[in-house]
Amino acid sequence: MKKLLCLMAAGALMLAPSAALAHSPICDCLDNGDNTITCEGGFSDGSSASGVRMVVSDGSGQEILAGKMNQDSEFTFDKPSGDYKVQFDAGDGHSVVIDGKNIVE
Amino acid sequence: MRFLSFLLAGLAALALASPASAHFMMLYTPEIAKTESSDLDMRVVFTHPAEAGHTMDMGGINEFYMIHQRGDNEPKKTDLKNYLKQIEWKNPESSGPAFSALIPRKEVRSLGDYTFVVVPGYYHEKEEDVYMQQITKLVLNVGGIPGNWAEPVGLACEIVPLIKPYGVWAGNVFKARVLSEGKPVAGAEVEVEYMNHMPDLAKNRLPEDSAVEYPHDAFITQTIFSDANGYITFGVPKAGWWGFAALGVGPVKEYKGKEMSQDAVIWIKAVDMK
Repeated sequence: MKKLLCLMAAGALMLAPSAALAHSPICDCLDNGDNTITCEGGFSDGSSASGVRMVVSDGSGQEILAGKMNQDSEFTFDKPSGDYKVQFDAGDGHSVVIDGKNIVE
Repeated sequence: MRFLSFLLAGLAALALASPASAHFMMLYTPEIAKTESSDLDMRVVFTHPAEAGHTMDMGGINEFYMIHQRGDNEPKKTDLKNYLKQIEWKNPESSGPAFSALIPRKEVRSLGDYTFVVVPGYYHEKEEDVYMQQITKLVLNVGGIPGNWAEPVGLACEIVPLIKPYGVWAGNVFKARVLSEGKPVAGAEVEVEYMNHMPDLAKNRLPEDSAVEYPHDAFITQTIFSDANGYITFGVPKAGWWGFAALGVGPVKEYKGKEMSQDAVIWIKAVDMK
């Protein structure tokens, strides 16, 4: 019985990461050229990122602002003045971090 | 005797008119699986890509647009006709009018699928005195979030893929459905060609150099048929570009009082696993 439970646990573990693999997070941000940034998100299987938490932090990792992807899986915010990072946070193993330096028009 | 020579001349003309390679509308840009967006350099050419053969006058372009979709967001249609420029396309032994289009990054900067559609004018095939119109699709993806690649656009006739047309490995099976006015076409004759001569966008030509030697004319244009439910299945044997043309499946059968073949074309790109 113990062995069976162990096997089932292993099976569950195997299922979990394969689900994550088939559904990886994707996020990209663009500088709109008017001091705002728009991020688009989604998943590799086409599922919506609506409601996914978005966090913008400064160079030292301090949170500047946070919000959620809208119904079109987009999030727009005012461009921070200094260094910054954007995190698309869809939970464990489903996070994408983008350095502000790589966000261009 | 006179009748016989007439008949012979007629037969000779027929033999000439039945080409070893098929007419194919090419809607081409070098990459359709893009990691990030950039300007898209496109070409629209009516030619024989399997043999860098005859380049034909497609009769202008009636429609050129794209439909963008990311995930399950609302699809968005953008007209692209303003970007078209007429060019001269030069194959080794034939040249003819074609079109280029430089789609700026701002039009394609969003993640997701972009289904490009060209509805050309009418090509007059003089030898057979018939018209041809090949309605052509090309699906491109930016960033890996899929969209509407498996959805019919709603064209008069079209080939709807059942495998991401920008994510095909060499050796995969390409499966798709042939539709005419949205309904499956059973027993449709579909020609398949390999882009054996890679388009040279700087010189607007298909070069003489080819990737594959054909052991027999039967291999230049492969012919497959759709099944009873309109599905086609094709094992993709080699990396590169593959074109599929469903012949005469469109609802329009006549133009200017002549027979017309309204065809549906789609291009896919297969990539080696390595």
